[in-house]
Amino acid sequence: MLGYLIRRVLLLIPVFLAVSVVIFSIIHMIPGDPIDNLLKIGAGPDQREIITARYGLDKPLVVQYWIWLSGVMQGDLGTAIVARRPVADLIAQALPHSLTLGLCALAFSSFFGIVLGTIAALNRDRWIDQIIMTVVLMGSTIPGFWLGLLLILVFSVWLGMFPVSGARDLSSLVLPVLTVGLGGTALVARVTRVAMIEAGQRDFLMLLHAKGMRPLRIQLRHVLRHALIPVVTILSLRIGWILGGAVTVEVVFARPGLGTLLIKSLNQHDYPVVQACLLILAMAVMLGTLAGDIIQAAMDPRVRAAL
Amino acid sequence: MTLGKSLMAASVSIAAMITMAPAVFAQEATLVFASNEVGQPTYNPVKATSLNVASSLIFDRLVAQDANRVYHPHLAKSWEEAEDGMSWIFHLKQGVTFHNGAAFNAQTVADWIPMFDGTDNAYLVAAVEAVEVVDEHTVKFVMKHPDPNLLYNLASAFMGVPEPKSFAEMGDNFGVTDAIGTGPYKMQSFAIGEQTVLVRNEDYTWGSPLAENTGPAKFEYLTFREIAEESTAFLELKTGGVDMLLSVPADFVPEVEKESDLKLVSVPGRELVYMVLNVVKEPFTDIKVRKAAALAINQREILDNIYSGIGQVADTFLISALPEANVADEYRIAYNPDKANALLDEAGWEMGADGVRMKDGKPLEVSLWTQSDSVFRRLTEVVQAQLKAVGINGQIATFDSAMIRDQYKSGDQQVAVRSYIWDNADIVDWFFGADRLGYPNISMFDDPKAEDLRAAAMTGSKSSAERIANFTVYHEYVLSQFPVAPIYQPVISVGYNTSRITLPDTFNAPAVSATVLMDMAPVE
Repeated sequence: MLGYLIRRVLLLIPVFLAVSVVIFSIIHMIPGDPIDNLLKIGAGPDQREIITARYGLDKPLVVQYWIWLSGVMQGDLGTAIVARRPVADLIAQALPHSLTLGLCALAFSSFFGIVLGTIAALNRDRWIDQIIMTVVLMGSTIPGFWLGLLLILVFSVWLGMFPVSGARDLSSLVLPVLTVGLGGTALVARVTRVAMIEAGQRDFLMLLHAKGMRPLRIQLRHVLRHALIPVVTILSLRIGWILGGAVTVEVVFARPGLGTLLIKSLNQHDYPVVQACLLILAMAVMLGTLAGDIIQAAMDPRVRAAL
Repeated sequence: MTLGKSLMAASVSIAAMITMAPAVFAQEATLVFASNEVGQPTYNPVKATSLNVASSLIFDRLVAQDANRVYHPHLAKSWEEAEDGMSWIFHLKQGVTFHNGAAFNAQTVADWIPMFDGTDNAYLVAAVEAVEVVDEHTVKFVMKHPDPNLLYNLASAFMGVPEPKSFAEMGDNFGVTDAIGTGPYKMQSFAIGEQTVLVRNEDYTWGSPLAENTGPAKFEYLTFREIAEESTAFLELKTGGVDMLLSVPADFVPEVEKESDLKLVSVPGRELVYMVLNVVKEPFTDIKVRKAAALAINQREILDNIYSGIGQVADTFLISALPEANVADEYRIAYNPDKANALLDEAGWEMGADGVRMKDGKPLEVSLWTQSDSVFRRLTEVVQAQLKAVGINGQIATFDSAMIRDQYKSGDQQVAVRSYIWDNADIVDWFFGADRLGYPNISMFDDPKAEDLRAAAMTGSKSSAERIANFTVYHEYVLSQFPVAPIYQPVISVGYNTSRITLPDTFNAPAVSATVLMDMAPVE
């Protein structure tokens, strides 16, 4: 298991480098630069050169990349150009909000996804299965941005149950969690259902039935356990998706977080902040996949042997 | 204590808190910044490149401007300018103290001006050679050269006066963890991109006389929230989650008017919407075509139909509150379709059967650039229809607001519909100076006579009156060459909840600032 873990972690290094190159080049290829946001009307034309040189933006891109990467390797994410603060401070302020939202949404979609998927599988092809799967399919196709505004309209404007926006208390977390979590719930429910139906066709179940074990006990103790392996994979992949998918949802609900920070910095072309946000989102996907693989390996010895 | 007793005690105190709650809440108000003020990284006025309205509550300035852009005393009770423009004497108000108890006096000003050295805001005081302390409450600015724009700079948010000692001690934390000024509110907390909480300065008695209230503010706490998404901000106001939007987007003005407990007050804006014509691109190399396109724009129709009649039409390149906007009538650009058609005929563009003019077998087709925001798109569609009415066929292209500046740098634009926010005549220099072709000089206007007039306006004026005269002439000349067609002057609509807040019906301020917010009071 330890050898597997080491191999798997070492594999992250080339992926990380490739991702950093892609992020850096895309950001710098987008038209526009942060200087326009720093130049105030009335400032002289020579001010542009002064500011460009101050942030090293006059250096060749390769040199700029190397400066950035070597900083990141030493744990220094740089200083925001427009926001003028250490990027690490901005991230430290935003990340807890994003993690709270992401983890709550993950817990929400895991719980309701597995429950709904199990109910659907147990009632395969009956009306209850069809209703759950139809609702779930609809849920997975609604864009988060639109769903967020819809939930605000119903639960905040009409019913007055939850605040429209902000992050002051737990009640302001409910609607964002629902918005992010509903899409995930649909995915988890569908995977759980298929995996349970597949696991239900295994040969060893015949033996359990022959032994006289109660069908519901077989389903929940043995079938569900086997079915959870693909569900765990999906959930671990969702970690990155949830942090990334929350970007638009944070903007709709005016919640502080990585998404709000990313959108704001993108508009201002604040390169160091955008790079750091995207790197963290990419890392979340990578670490989520890693966590999924490790959990899978722990649950299933065949996976360990395969790598 | 038994469990029953504890429960009873708890419920009694909760009940007491609930009954007390309205009295406590009445002292607080929650406001939402305009969406273009979201994300300000610091309240350090010396180093910041953007500042929001809350900074005007933390820091006072030496002078204040009224709605007509006339300068009034604030921390400076009076001033004199030397005839040759080479020195200014400011007499300071007495008894003013900073939030930390330090006194505001002549030495404060002498310590403050050099703080700008080496910052991006250094140009604000670039003309000041030295600041001399005359006596405890009198200070003299010795100038390198005359700067008739000094009062404008002193009235800007970036010249709010910070407390020099804590400014030096706190370094980059000044304006982030704390911000010490002489203003009516102290900074209690600031989370970038999230919210700023201010607490009343109980000792405040030196408010600007432009507000009715010159004493301590009426609200004990003010919370300024940052909401980037405009529809979310509107829904917060509608549901009572916030008490005031400092700028209601034009799209939501009718929605606010529908609500019985919401009210709108207009503050004169600093924005001007206009159409740019690229003078080095065909067909606009011909001044007759430029003039025709400018005269084809029906400003009144746009004001009435797109902006519901709120605001003013624009017929010069400057907002009408500025004295330099007071140009001779012949330079004002107003709708005149007959003249537009006649000019195009003269230029050789003949009306075709499909309503598009033709010359040498080529149709009069131009690209029409704008930002992708819904208001700009709608406005540009109307401009397109108005140009079509005189035979100019415009093809609209929209760009993301972050990207359009770079597109302009290419110089490929023919016509663009855009706006600026600024309230000083030097905007004419910014957008039409030959040293900024591409961006910000989108019209690519490079004219030797304009350059001479511009130099005179920017650096050749010794007094305010001379600067106004020089800029007026420069402005008139630019208008006469038609690189631009002015369209509309928006107002800032402040929306608030009348069951929570009272506000006067008009404000004597050029924009939403401390002067406006000092007169805000809780509903009893």
